[in-house]
Formats: sequence, structure tokens, C-alpha cells
Amino acid sequence: MGIALGQADHSSLIRLDGVVDISAAAELKAALLRAIEVGDEIRVSVNEAAELDVTALQLIWAAAREARLKSVGFALAWKAPESVRSFLASTGLTGLALLE
Amino acid sequence: MIQPVTGNAEQFKHSFREEGREILADLESALLELNDNRADAELVGRIFRGLHTIKGSGSMFGFERLAAFTHDLESAFDRVRNGRLEISTELIDRTLAALDQISAMLEDGVVGARAADPAACAAILESVRQLAGIEETAPPVKEAAPAPENDATRSGPMRSWRIHFAPGPDLMRTGANPPLLLRELHTLGGLSIRASTDAIPPLADLDPERCYMAWDMVLVTDAGADAIRDIFIFVEDACQLTIAPDGDGVEEPRQAAAGGDAGSIAQALAEKRSPSAGRRVYDQPDHAASLRVPAAKLDQFVNLVGELVTVQARLAELAGRRDDADVAAVSEEIERLTSALRESSMNIRMTPIRSTFEKFRRLVHDLARDLGKDVDLTIEGADTELDKTVIDQLGDPLMHLIRNSMDHGIERAEERIARGKPARACIHLSARHSGASVIIAVSDDGRGIDAEAVRRRAIEKGLVASDACLSESAIFALILEPGFSTAQEVTDVSGRGVGMDVVRQKVESLRGTLEITSRPGHGASIALRLPLTMAIIDGLLVGVGDACFVLPLASTLECIELTRDDIERANGKHIANVRGELVPYIRLREHFNLRSRPPQIEQIMLVDTGEGRFGFVVDQVLGNCQTVIKSLGHFYRQVQIVSGATILGNGSVALILDPERLIQDAVRADQNSEAGCTPAAASGRKRREVFSTPSGATAAPV
Repeated sequence: MGIALGQADHSSLIRLDGVVDISAAAELKAALLRAIEVGDEIRVSVNEAAELDVTALQLIWAAAREARLKSVGFALAWKAPESVRSFLASTGLTGLALLE
Repeated sequence: MIQPVTGNAEQFKHSFREEGREILADLESALLELNDNRADAELVGRIFRGLHTIKGSGSMFGFERLAAFTHDLESAFDRVRNGRLEISTELIDRTLAALDQISAMLEDGVVGARAADPAACAAILESVRQLAGIEETAPPVKEAAPAPENDATRSGPMRSWRIHFAPGPDLMRTGANPPLLLRELHTLGGLSIRASTDAIPPLADLDPERCYMAWDMVLVTDAGADAIRDIFIFVEDACQLTIAPDGDGVEEPRQAAAGGDAGSIAQALAEKRSPSAGRRVYDQPDHAASLRVPAAKLDQFVNLVGELVTVQARLAELAGRRDDADVAAVSEEIERLTSALRESSMNIRMTPIRSTFEKFRRLVHDLARDLGKDVDLTIEGADTELDKTVIDQLGDPLMHLIRNSMDHGIERAEERIARGKPARACIHLSARHSGASVIIAVSDDGRGIDAEAVRRRAIEKGLVASDACLSESAIFALILEPGFSTAQEVTDVSGRGVGMDVVRQKVESLRGTLEITSRPGHGASIALRLPLTMAIIDGLLVGVGDACFVLPLASTLECIELTRDDIERANGKHIANVRGELVPYIRLREHFNLRSRPPQIEQIMLVDTGEGRFGFVVDQVLGNCQTVIKSLGHFYRQVQIVSGATILGNGSVALILDPERLIQDAVRADQNSEAGCTPAAASGRKRREVFSTPSGATAAPV
């Protein structure tokens, strides 16, 4: 499990790695808040994420909505492994605006 | 595959173990009830749900072996509830044996825990499969709460169900993972899902460990509502779940309209259809009916309250010495609050004795089978509350008493019939409050205790002289002596003469007493009188010379004066005339060999004990005090007349006296002064004879 926040020139990259679940939720929230506070552009990469749970998705969804309100660019780098894709598909979460 | 447990795995496992123990206890109780009421469908449903929860939760929390083992048991009870399998003694016994193995699997990883026996597990499963006609199936390892094979509920016509699932705010903290449940719904048929994100708050306000999402689904399946609900069975209490046939009325909306009338059901349906339904639920406060708190945290809390009580006593002492109305007012207010806090903290520790009692159903069931006896266990007063510390230590003594009763007290059916008794024997477990004590009794309607046999055995073992004159209660008390047994043979169950001594030691360590009564041919009863609490008590502070002692307020009755004239009128005997009743007393000054001079008028504190009324003569009664019981440590453990010590407001230490023990000690000391008389013989004498001479008591070693 890992959450890495990289920031440069008002853009932030949050890289999610491994299992990102409730045990990492507080850390993910802090990273997203920091990114929104300082950046004009936020990218969240879930390419290396093996698993995401509901707490992680809620946070990403809330951050995307927040970014939209503050006119901060928000993008999800989306080449998630099959396990994450199947998880999202089975729970109806693929329909969320942020993932489209 | 999503693993629901990662970072907090151990914490979740611990929570699951606690929950699992409760479920197993409930399962055991339900199985034993089912043994007596085999047509009770509700019990069958309860057992099925328990097994399903254990299996599903076990799988989620990483107990795959447990989940796999429980799978066939669950299938068997699924068949029972669908009318495809009849309940039999064999099935109940196998399931009980299986629960023992599940219990061992649950404790897997806990230091000192008994491991499950793979051979026994295999034998149990094989037997259950044969009984239920189940073919061996691949264990549902790593599958979250797999749906049971449910042919009856899945054989219906295809229909469409609308399901609304809104996890409660704390669901994620329990280690549950809602999407796993949704994934399982997919296995029942065609599922379309809409995730609702309406309730997700702004990022800054979002509690990262809380679940804000909800799901609305349409499921097309041949499964019934029960099969759908079973998927949510172990999160049902922590979520809002409605399952309704599509285009129809709501069927059994669980939480929203549980037990409601048609109006409330319609309202629940309307709420479900409302786009804001999810938000409304999350905005409600959490209505947790109870919290699970580790016992260690509770102990720490009570210890802190104890320290506060001690500091409050110092403050009261200080306020008493100062002529300051403001300080006095604050001190009184603190005293009031401390007293209320103490009361509350003690109440938190009070637990019904039900779970301890209920677990003996299994013991009686198993022993009855092993001994070939027909025994019914009846329970009375299971809701009686007692300090958790006391309850935790009661299991072993009660088990010894029940085993003894089953083995020696209860006769075989043919013998009972020959004596004109019902073939089925009865063991009665009861609990009731009596003042500041709780009386827990184990009674049976067996052959009773043969007092003459006990006496003969005691003489053989040299415990009493052959010419000793013993009362019946003194004879029964011999049963509690170490190594005493009248059993003709040692069995697996009892007869080694170890149990009763252990029972006595345990009860005494809890500051309790034992009373044995028996009617030959009709049965015996052993009553344990135990204090309600072990931590803080209301005490009465008394002074003798420079020393202070605390008497438990609950056992004190009244205080009367003792003048020189009174002493002379009694001709030197330690007896006071209390409104015509002669009450023997102990002079604490003499008993403890205190060298100070007594005042002209002394005080007798009258106390009520199991033996009757007695008095303790002191110089003065100083008043009530909240008494935090501090252990005197191992060095003083032989000093049984003192149940602990407490720190007074002025920083000095006062010993807390145990009135019953003090009286027994005085009796013993008095009788020891008479040559050639054994303690056992002495205890059989009338109490008034014991106190007929000025105390020959020696100084107590305190």
C-alpha cells in the first residue's frame, strides 16, 4: 500500500500503489486536500493500485467535485488492473462521473 | 480479489473473535433448546443464521478454514429449515461437536488457545454430510459470505427485486466491505446497480473511514427474499436494507419499518424511493444501542475513579480542617459528583450472569449423555447483574458444583423411579440479589448428601475426632476440606476430592461464602453468597485507639453504646442485650491486641452475617466513607479477616474488615484455647457458647 504525492509547478500527482483501503483513507484524504490547496492541476494515478475500496473511491469522488468547484483540473490516470476494474464494474461505480 | 482486511487486520480479527464467541454461545444455546423443541422453526432459523454469519464473517476476516468447515453445517441447517432434513439427536450432537472445533479455529493465533483437531473436524463433517445427504463440496475459501445452497428458495419462478442497500456510517470500521456483498448478489442472477453518491460531504468534512455511499439495485433471479437477505445477514444490523418485489409493495423492509404497521411500511417505501433517502439516513445520529469496550479499558477507568475517590477523601479532610465555607461547598459538590461517578462506573461493570449460566446447558447435556442420566437444567434469575470480575471467575466453581451434582447427586432414571421420583432429574441454577450480595445457588433433586457418610469419611481422614459433636452444617462444611471425597470411585467427571476445595478457595478469594443444605433423598443445594462488587464499596469508618478500620456498610445494622455498667451486668461475658435479644460481640481492641485504654463509653457496631447478628466493639464510629479496596498483596494473603486496605483522606491506611471471617476467626481462637478440641468440632458449637468467656483470642497477625 502506498500513497505518493508529487508536486511541481502548481500541478500534483497522487500515485496510489497496492491496496488502498480504510487503513490508508486518512492519508489519502490529507494528500487530496493538499493537492487541491496548492495545485491548478491534479492527477490521480490508480494504475499501480491492486485494490481500492469504498473509502478510497468516496475520497476521489469528493476531491473531483471539490476540484470542479474550485476550477482546478482533475484527471484520473486510468489503466487500472483487472481486479480494480472488475470491482468497480460489479459495484456500479463505473458510472460515476469522475471515472468517465 | 479484494481483501477486506489489511492494515487493521488484527484489530478486525479481534473484533470478529469477540463477536464469534457470542454467536457460538448463542448457537450452542439454540441447539440445546432445539433438542427439546424439535419443531421450533424459529430456532432452526436462528441456528442457520448464526452459522451463516460465522461462515461469512469468518471468510471476510481471513478465517478461511473456519468458513470452509462451517459451510456444510450451514447447508445441513438450510435443509432443515426447508423441511428436507429432520432434526435428530445425532445432528445436534455433531453440530455441538462442530461448534467446539469452530471455537478452536476462532481462537487460532491466540496464545495458549486450544487448536482445532483436523481428524475430528473431518469426522464431524463426514458425519454431517451423511446425515444431511450432502455431497462434499469445494470449500468456499476466500469467498465473502457465499450464499448457501438454497434449492428451495431458488427453485421459484424468475422475478425482479428492487433492493436498496445503505451501509451504516460505521460499517467500514467493522472491516466489512459493501462491494463484496454486491458482488455476491451478482451470483444470484442478473443485477443492475446504481451507486448513490448524494450523501458524500465536501472533502474537508468527509470522515475518511465512514461509508457515505448507498446502492439501488434491480435483481432478476429465481431466488427468494430470504436468499437475498442472507447475503446481508452479517451486516444487517449496521445498514438500511429493503428488498421489494419490483412493481409490488415492499416485502419485509427490515430496519426502516421493522415491526411497523402498513402506514410505516408505505412510508419506508416512500423514503426508499426518495432521492434524498440516503442522505437522510446519514444525517441521523448513530443510534448504537451498546458499545463494545475492552475490559482492560474499563478496569483502567474504574482504577482512575478509585484514585479520584481517594483524592476526594483528602479534599474532604482538608475542607473539614479549614473554616472556609467556599472550600467546604466545593468539597461537598466534589463528593456528590465522585459518589455519582463511582456509582456509574460500578454499574458499567455490572453484567447479567446469563451467559455464564447458559453455557452450562451444554455441560449438562454432554454429561447427561456420558453418564446415561436424564437431566433437565432450569435457570432462574439469569438477568441478575454482578461485577464482571466476579462473573469471570465464577465459571470454574459453578462447573465443579454441577459436575458433582450430575455425578454424585443425581440418580439414574431407574433408581429415581424406584424412589417415586420423576425419571428426569432437575438441576436448578439460580441467582438473586440479597442486599449488597448476590446469592447463586446450584440445587438438584437427587439423593442429597449423606451426612453420616461424610462424617465417617472425615473421621477416617483424621479431619475430626471420632467423638466430635458436629452440627449438620459443620458436617457439610467438611466437604469443602482439601482432598475430601465420599465418592466410591474416581470418574472422569468427579470424585477426586479436588473440586470442592477449589470451589471454596475461589469463592473465598471473591470475598464470598458457601452454604450447603441437603435433604436426604430429596436433593442438595449449594449457595454461593458473593459481593456485588470487588472494587469500591461503601464503608463505615470506626476507630479503636489510634487505629482505624472499615466495616462494609452493607453488613452493618446499627450502633449502640456499651457502658461499664453493661459489661458488669453481663458478668464479663461478651454479650450485649439489644432490646431483649442477646447478641455476642468481639472487642476489636482485644482481638487485635491494641494497647490503648478504652473510653468510658464504647460503641458496638452490630453486623448481620450468615450466622446471625454479632457486634464489634470500637471506641468510636467516625462515619461513612467510600472505600477503594486495595489489595494487601501476597504477603498478607493468609490474613483472611481482612479483605483489603484503603487509603483515608489524611493519607493513613485503614484495614477493611471481613465481618464473617472475623467472627469465624474469633470462634476458632476461642475454641483453640480449650484443650483437645479440633477446629471442626469447635465450629459446630452454638455461637453463644463460644462467646461465653472473655475472649481468649490471640492477636491477629496484622
